[in-house]
Amino acid sequence: MANKRRRNLAPVLAIAPFWVLILVAYLGTMLFTILMSFTNSKTLPKLEFVGLKQYQRLFTTDLWITASQNIWAFSILLILISLTVGFLLAVALDQKIRAEDTIRTIILYPYAMSFIVTGLIWQWLLNPQLGLQKAMHDLGWESFSFTWTQDPSMAIYSIIIGGVWQGSGLVMAIMLAGLRSIDQEIWKAAKIDGIPDWRVYISIVIPMMRPTIVTAVVLMSLGAVKAYDIVVALTGGGPGSSSFTPALFIMNFFFTRQNVGLGAAACTVVLVVVSVFFVPWFYYEYFREEKRGH
Amino acid sequence: MSALTAQSSPRGPKPKRLTPARVGLYGFVAMSCLFFLAPLYVMIITSLKPMEEVRLGYIFKWPDSPTIQPWIDAWSSACTGLACEGIHSGFYNSIKITIPSVMVSIFAGALFGYCLSFWKMKGSNFLFGLLLLGAFLPYQLFIYPLVRIYAWAGAYGTMFNIITVHTIFGLPVMTLLFRNYFSSVPIELFKAARVDGAGFWRIFLSVMLPLATPVVIVAVILQVTGIWNDFLFGTVFAGQNNWPMTVLLNNIVNTTQGERHYNIDMAATILTAAVPLTVYFVSGRWFVRGIAAGAVKG
Amino acid sequence: MKKLLGALLGGAALFAVSGSAMAGEKCDVIHWWTSGGEAAAVAEFAKAFNAAGGEWIDTAIAGGGGDNARAVGIPRIMAGDPPCAMQFNYGKQFDELVSNGFLRNLDDAAKAGGWEAATPPITWGQIQRDGHVMAVPVNIHGSNWSWWSKAALEKAGATMPTNWDEVWVALDKLKAAGITPVAASGQAWQLDMMFQFMVLSIAGNDTFKAVYGDHSEEAVKSDAFKQAIAAFLKVKNYIDAGSANRNWNDASAMVINGTAGVQFMGDWAKGEFVSAGKTEGTDYYCKTTFSDKKGYIFGGDIFVFPVSKNADTTKAQDLLMNTMFSKETQVAFNLKKGSAPVRQDVDTSKVDPCGQEALKLIANPATQVAGADATNTPDAVNAMRDVLASQWTDPNATVDTFVEKFVPALMTDM
Repeated sequence: MANKRRRNLAPVLAIAPFWVLILVAYLGTMLFTILMSFTNSKTLPKLEFVGLKQYQRLFTTDLWITASQNIWAFSILLILISLTVGFLLAVALDQKIRAEDTIRTIILYPYAMSFIVTGLIWQWLLNPQLGLQKAMHDLGWESFSFTWTQDPSMAIYSIIIGGVWQGSGLVMAIMLAGLRSIDQEIWKAAKIDGIPDWRVYISIVIPMMRPTIVTAVVLMSLGAVKAYDIVVALTGGGPGSSSFTPALFIMNFFFTRQNVGLGAAACTVVLVVVSVFFVPWFYYEYFREEKRGH
Repeated sequence: MSALTAQSSPRGPKPKRLTPARVGLYGFVAMSCLFFLAPLYVMIITSLKPMEEVRLGYIFKWPDSPTIQPWIDAWSSACTGLACEGIHSGFYNSIKITIPSVMVSIFAGALFGYCLSFWKMKGSNFLFGLLLLGAFLPYQLFIYPLVRIYAWAGAYGTMFNIITVHTIFGLPVMTLLFRNYFSSVPIELFKAARVDGAGFWRIFLSVMLPLATPVVIVAVILQVTGIWNDFLFGTVFAGQNNWPMTVLLNNIVNTTQGERHYNIDMAATILTAAVPLTVYFVSGRWFVRGIAAGAVKG
Repeated sequence: MKKLLGALLGGAALFAVSGSAMAGEKCDVIHWWTSGGEAAAVAEFAKAFNAAGGEWIDTAIAGGGGDNARAVGIPRIMAGDPPCAMQFNYGKQFDELVSNGFLRNLDDAAKAGGWEAATPPITWGQIQRDGHVMAVPVNIHGSNWSWWSKAALEKAGATMPTNWDEVWVALDKLKAAGITPVAASGQAWQLDMMFQFMVLSIAGNDTFKAVYGDHSEEAVKSDAFKQAIAAFLKVKNYIDAGSANRNWNDASAMVINGTAGVQFMGDWAKGEFVSAGKTEGTDYYCKTTFSDKKGYIFGGDIFVFPVSKNADTTKAQDLLMNTMFSKETQVAFNLKKGSAPVRQDVDTSKVDPCGQEALKLIANPATQVAGADATNTPDAVNAMRDVLASQWTDPNATVDTFVEKFVPALMTDM
């Protein structure tokens, strides 16, 4: 009995620091932010409560309305396109093609680059007078037009191009790993039955890769909701304020506009919306399994 | 057990002779490579041009008179404020921050993932949920509360500070990775170790951690990239004597009211990215294998 | 010797120079001047401070017009580990640091140094809070400048305009000649520079002050202000397709290369022309206004000195503020920075023609104007910039929609 108790002490001691860390750093920050959203904090956080005033201003601020509309289109499209591109690349790389190592590295390397400068390159590439459009015109294709970054209604989509460039390598790696942990017997069986490859992928492989896809979606959505660097780099939130995102809005109000109260209110809204999607998923994914036990 | 034997070689259908499908496949791969490489190409050729050529604005054009001077300047003489010593002086600091931060954050993620998978303690799944939820918040939000806490503890602006901050922010993804992996390890293995009298730490250190080597490799790649490229935490928490290379890179490429040397900017970026890029080149194969072992198990 | 000095100046970035070897008092200074002319200007401060017996420790963090520097400096001040000195712009960015008692009161130094007599009233007002001096000013930047390409004008057969009617004629000629008339950028702060130029030059000083200083709704709805809005919206017809997120220096390059006619930008743009080897009068023209309504919109940089528990740091701060304000340093620093000295009692013979024009406007009380960000919180300034940016990109924008959106933005602080 004493022995058992001693053995149970070790895991408790091991997990205790994580309780402290997560409760203080994560829960603490969330509560701090929610608290600040009810205050009149400007440059510095301060406890001068103003009720729901910040929320009232937030929901009547054009910039926030634009930002919160943008993030839906941006996140959903970015995740869908990255998943598709990543999956197709993974399938392609899984066909015993030449120079797989090199090609895989080419697809993965953007993930290792910071947007501090690659953003500048993207600005050039997407700029009609410097990049793609000009190159096409120089090649003689005069009618080619690509002006997304200059068009308020399209600018947010131009950011997706940069996001796909950076993120689909990781998706590809995850998908490739998923493909390769699928039992090869499936291919033999399908061959015997004369089922074409594309049908095997759609009807058998993709459903089997559900956990892989979930992992990719979770990682991509973490990045999409926090999209900041890439927006600053590609469009700076413009033209006008047409490509603002919530993270850019929050940063802007925290450090540029020095209105911590309003920034905190925006952050609280993001937290609530994310929770609405996250909590049911998390419960389904982890607690359900918990009941099944080992 | 499939996790432990995941292969790194293609398992798809065997290649045939040069069929139209095969041509289409290579066409698709080639187009993709073009898309991924275009920015790197522009970066490299820009870094080899003198400023007179850069100003002309032909971004795809091969330099008329290539020069490596921008690279030399970026490394050893570009101004980053008062000092005009290029980015090389931040290199050592980045190493100094990255190595311990990567080690501590991976160890923490592995330990927490191990606790979650094998030692079902009350509330630990709640804790994990909180952690993942917190991972959706913009990092900048954490600055004020964390500064207050570290200052109160007398640890603000130290190596301890920056290492623990990287551990805190690496924890969600690291835990996810290891938790998923450990949950695919047969529980019988764990039970057998316990029957043999191994305790909490013995099982972790001599059974589970060695077993998780492929996942550790993925974790190393992700963390090296993330921590090496970090700018925000480094400037706020590392203390000025420990400022990483990205601070110097930022100071070279960002200026409010001064001229910009795009060629030096590009060279400095490629130099700064050299370490994570090398890690990718060297370990790309293991990366996929490690993910196959870890991340894809739900 | 040069090497030793270099090591002394640069060493701070990497090696924390061991204190015992140095006699001077250390002062770590947060600023965001990092490249080219900016770095050269900072070096003048450091050189003078080190020569006076101090030891400058450089803490440069570029980006976002000071956002990154503030994200580092303000938490440090909060954490009780403040820098010795920290850069701010004219304006209300450091108000709360003052009200929380984080900053040193510099009344004594200001009195002893005769700061009030030496500086223009706007600058003097900018460094005071509740009647106390809380910062040392180091320069005056003017934001209402326009930079014209002589080559582009000649190619289009236009002459340098002297009034607004001629401006539009010149822009039309440039457009007809296939040259981008205005090197614009859709970045909100750059639009703001152009808009304030229009307000000052078309509506005049009094309207400018009534709007941005007194927050008068009546002034916003006045005909004079509406004319300025109309001019701002009219410029949309004279820009090129790649302007959306253009950096200001790229816009300057267009004027330098003669691919664009004019850029509306503050005096820091002059540095681009100078470093490209261009000369005023033969290659380009600078102009502050196109009417009899003359004025100079003040902006600039200041340094604050957080309260320190360390007596040595306090001594270093005293030394630094006096060094920054000294006549010699003011001249040397501002020549490199491209701005005007805050002291009006210094030798300005080396200043170029554009700078001489600035000095005349700065010296005349009738032409001194505090910029929008000097009299409004960053929150309000950026709310107004949101309006400028959205009206700029909205093809249906009119003077009336502009006014309707602008009024609540201007009242953000009210």
